[in-house]
Amino acid sequence: MMEKKIMDETFTVPIGPQHPALKEPSHFRITVDGEIVTNAVVRLGYAHRGIEKAVEGRNWIQNLYMLERICGICSHIHATAYCLGVEQLAGVEVPPRAQAIRVLTAELERIHSHFLWVGVAAHEAGFDTLFMYIWRDRETVMDLLETLSGNRVNYSVNILGGVKFDINEEQADAIRKGLDYLEERTNHYLDVVSNDAMFLQRTSGIGVMTRNQAEVLGTVGPTARASNVARDVRVEAPYGAYFDYPANIVLEERGDLTARFVVRIKELFESYRLIRLILDTLPSGDLETRMPRRIKEGETVCRVEAPRGELFYFIKSNGTDMPERIKIRTPTICNMTSVVKLVIGHQLADVPMILVGIDPCFSCNDRMVILDRSDGYKQQWTWEALRQHGIDYYHEQHS
Amino acid sequence: MRKNPLELLRGLWTTFRSMLESPVTYQYPEIKRPVRERFRGRHELKRYENGLEKCIGCALCAAACPADAIFVEAAENTDEERYSPGERYASTYEINLLRCIFCGFCEDSCPTEAIVLEQNYEVSFTSRRQAIYTKDLLLVPVPTNGRQTPMKVPPGSFERAVPEMEDAK
Repeated sequence: MMEKKIMDETFTVPIGPQHPALKEPSHFRITVDGEIVTNAVVRLGYAHRGIEKAVEGRNWIQNLYMLERICGICSHIHATAYCLGVEQLAGVEVPPRAQAIRVLTAELERIHSHFLWVGVAAHEAGFDTLFMYIWRDRETVMDLLETLSGNRVNYSVNILGGVKFDINEEQADAIRKGLDYLEERTNHYLDVVSNDAMFLQRTSGIGVMTRNQAEVLGTVGPTARASNVARDVRVEAPYGAYFDYPANIVLEERGDLTARFVVRIKELFESYRLIRLILDTLPSGDLETRMPRRIKEGETVCRVEAPRGELFYFIKSNGTDMPERIKIRTPTICNMTSVVKLVIGHQLADVPMILVGIDPCFSCNDRMVILDRSDGYKQQWTWEALRQHGIDYYHEQHS
Repeated sequence: MRKNPLELLRGLWTTFRSMLESPVTYQYPEIKRPVRERFRGRHELKRYENGLEKCIGCALCAAACPADAIFVEAAENTDEERYSPGERYASTYEINLLRCIFCGFCEDSCPTEAIVLEQNYEVSFTSRRQAIYTKDLLLVPVPTNGRQTPMKVPPGSFERAVPEMEDAK
């Protein structure tokens, strides 16, 4: 008559696709033993927008605006990656002033992205005061970007073969003034995240990723650099104006969440330095060169360093005014595997912090995948198959 | 924390100090922050000083639009009923603001600088039908010295689509 207690039964916590704590749709199945996470499975794809297919039906110039809208935060770097690839295919040399302005905007965007991330991560840690302060100061750089381009996001700085606008002395002074204020505040925030005792309880020693793990899991960007992996496209394979304005790599050894905060905040100083340098030594000359309407046949690969890590573009042209195929890999997908590995052994309450530690952007990373294995096995989802799969999946869940 | 209660006071001091700072927020909609010069807001169809519409119905904006948000239908101008300089004018001009991504490519492609993304960002609607801005909503009012379109003009005075006018470029 007594109820038999099954000791080895674990409990699965499903989170998402829609969940108040998730900023974007994604699904996590977290198996817990008491409070300790024993396994985690991530399921992506809820925000797939079919952008890669959509660009195949538009011409090269229209796609610039299209691809810029993949990510609301790192929009400029998407357009830069695309422009660099297409210019490479067309064999067009971009004037140095345009390249410098591209890098300048990219670094301003990095400041805005890192500030945003520190705010979001502080919010996940329950430190909403820091979140509010950081986002207040982020408005400084948002205003600078609006002064430059007219928009707070989706700046539309790039055009194929150059940039859209020039920077005059007045704007340069506004940027310098804004950076002085931000630098002072950044010093304060570096002090907060590395010394505040309560905040360190949420971050120190949480989600430790060793250097070996970071390399094996293929992490990119600040997430990898926080584990002392020297991986930065700006340094490894410079592009655009990074030849003239080399960036220094910022590394941290500990690999925990504190290190990820420190790396990102220290990178801000590096961005301030680069922007000041570019403003002081902006090369004179044209802003754009002429681009052909049809791009020569060929394919290319383009890598740039987005604020979140390495952004990868594959562009294939068949000689018409539309691309044949564009494949995009955003940094989040590279870092996502590290989340499901790192949460194991931590408390359930630490999972949001570890997830946010990679600076995830779900709608950027959702892509269609075609399996094409060496043994000849090929799989591609059609609309009907996807629909049937969805029906089967939910039947399975409810049976 | 238990080891060092001073940490708590240090953090609270930062919070307390902000009470003495002036707020950075705007009391929208009572107070509006002006947008920057290059801001891209809702579209407007411009007029020449005499009241003629700049849009000649060429539909280059519709062709350029990456989001396929613009629909243009052209009709013939006559000197009896003239809407715009040149042969044709836009009899229908619709922008679906639910599709529009405010990239400004229509503005770049316009040969007569008729469509301009202006500074109005308060674009809201309650139905999908309302999201489609028609020509009468997009067209700016007639300037003080101008006349309402369609207007009767002397024959042969506005033959060219880009006329030699003061503000025509």
